[in-house]
Amino acid sequence: MAKRRKRNTVILMIALTIVSLVFIYPVFLMFLNSFKPFGEVVSDPIALPKAPTMENYTYVIKKIKYFNLFINNVMITVIGILGIVVFSSLAAYILDRRRNTYTKIVHTLLITPMLIPFQTIMITLLKAMNVIHLDQSRVGLGIQYWGFGIPMATFIFFNFMKTIPKELDESAMIDGASTFRGFISVIFPLLKPVTFTVIVIDVMWIWNDFLLPLLMVNSSNKTKTLVLASYTFVGQMNTKWQYAMTAMVLTVLPSIIVFIFLQKYIVEGVVAGAVKG
Amino acid sequence: MRSNRKKREYIENFLFTIPAVILVCIVMYIPFVMSGYYSLTEWNGIAKEPLFIGLKNFREIFTGKVEFLSSLWFTVRYTLLFVIMSNVIALALAVALTKKFPLVNVYRSLFFIPYIMSMTIVGFIWKFIFTSGFKSLFSLTGWGFWNFSWLGDPKLAFISVTLVGVWQSLGFYIVLYIAGLQAVPQEVLEAATVDGASGVQSFFRVTLPLLGPSMTTCIFMSLTNGLKVFDIILALTKGGPGTSTYSATLQIYNDAFTKNMYGLGSAEAMLYFFAVLVITQVVLRVMSRKEVDL
Repeated sequence: MAKRRKRNTVILMIALTIVSLVFIYPVFLMFLNSFKPFGEVVSDPIALPKAPTMENYTYVIKKIKYFNLFINNVMITVIGILGIVVFSSLAAYILDRRRNTYTKIVHTLLITPMLIPFQTIMITLLKAMNVIHLDQSRVGLGIQYWGFGIPMATFIFFNFMKTIPKELDESAMIDGASTFRGFISVIFPLLKPVTFTVIVIDVMWIWNDFLLPLLMVNSSNKTKTLVLASYTFVGQMNTKWQYAMTAMVLTVLPSIIVFIFLQKYIVEGVVAGAVKG
Repeated sequence: MRSNRKKREYIENFLFTIPAVILVCIVMYIPFVMSGYYSLTEWNGIAKEPLFIGLKNFREIFTGKVEFLSSLWFTVRYTLLFVIMSNVIALALAVALTKKFPLVNVYRSLFFIPYIMSMTIVGFIWKFIFTSGFKSLFSLTGWGFWNFSWLGDPKLAFISVTLVGVWQSLGFYIVLYIAGLQAVPQEVLEAATVDGASGVQSFFRVTLPLLGPSMTTCIFMSLTNGLKVFDIILALTKGGPGTSTYSATLQIYNDAFTKNMYGLGSAEAMLYFFAVLVITQVVLRVMSRKEVDL
């Protein structure tokens, strides 16, 4: 019995090793080809580079002004996350604690947009954002993410808020704190696990988002994001794959590094978000 | 005193919620209402004012003058295949990955990596593989399979884009199923084994029914993600060959932003919205009824 189980485990491991290596090979391939000169990418796309070169990296980093774009990405993501967390948790707090007609209406108003796919509104969004000057800027794009992220974040915060006992607010009130102070110093710290869930989901979304930045900030290098830079490399008729792969690695690498260090938390956050959302 | 406190509470309710309300209105509700109006107009984006033409856009779509229904139909077929493949493969891998063996966490992480990558980039990597990578695999092995026109043949292109979609998000469904599997109580499985159930039997009779909630989540998430497919197709095929992988979202995008038919694009967007709403609500109803039965 024990012997058979051991044999099964070995077979399972061999099978899984093959499956996972095949599965991850495309990612590996992207890395491989970023170290090859053009001729080699064309003649032998799947082999290891004969003489690894960093030339593609020096070219691409200079060409797309990588560090500027990286800062753009960070800025847009940070602004987006801050607004989503602050405004959603504030709203969810009141929506849970003060149940009346007003909060019921607001609750419906805030979470219903989860049903509206982005493509339904993108045409007129562009026009509306142009009118109020939220297009063509990183801050403007970050602010737009607030609106797009609030419905789901409010939903997640609201469901978690129910589990925090009301006595805590009351004791804060007795100590003379205003509702806002009470929220900041007592309630918000208790939201930590769910705040983390919201951050994980929304960072992955905003960092990798393509269509909204394409519509809003694609025109200038000052506002472009990393994904858009990769996109322009592949856009032309004769794609220079060695540069395209390099740009893609440079876009993906930060996410992979963060994932390697925080994988346990990221997976937990994603699972929690899906189960609650 | 009392009415003062009430008044303060009302003001607080308003102040705490109003930023969220305004933001959601600006980016979602106002554009949504505008889309509703634009769908009744003809507008090229340059003319000052859109021209009101009533239901003409919708008439053209339904009489087939504008081929939008076929894109919607593609989206539905894509979603169906995407949901089935994602869930079956993810569940199978999740079962394997919940067994106890060394380095199991490393394997789990490997499957999750494509999910943290931008879908556009995933599309480009696979475009490179389908066009260059497979060619050199063909010259290496001589298997005709590699030499198929994976993105050039309409039927194969449909399979290819779906496979890439599944590849990108598989890790997400795997971790959801793993979480579900770990919540299945060991005692129940042991009891089944004691009663003489084989591994396969106890999986289908015990584990699967108890996975109900995870399955509902996974099917629903894959359904909504499938219906929204856009980036991957834009990166891989741009809807081609011909219009064989033309999704509803891609057509809305092209009609509005490359053909400058904003009115028609808005009409398509409204139809797309209602189609998504109906499909997701129907599936949700059916699934919640099933779950009660368990």
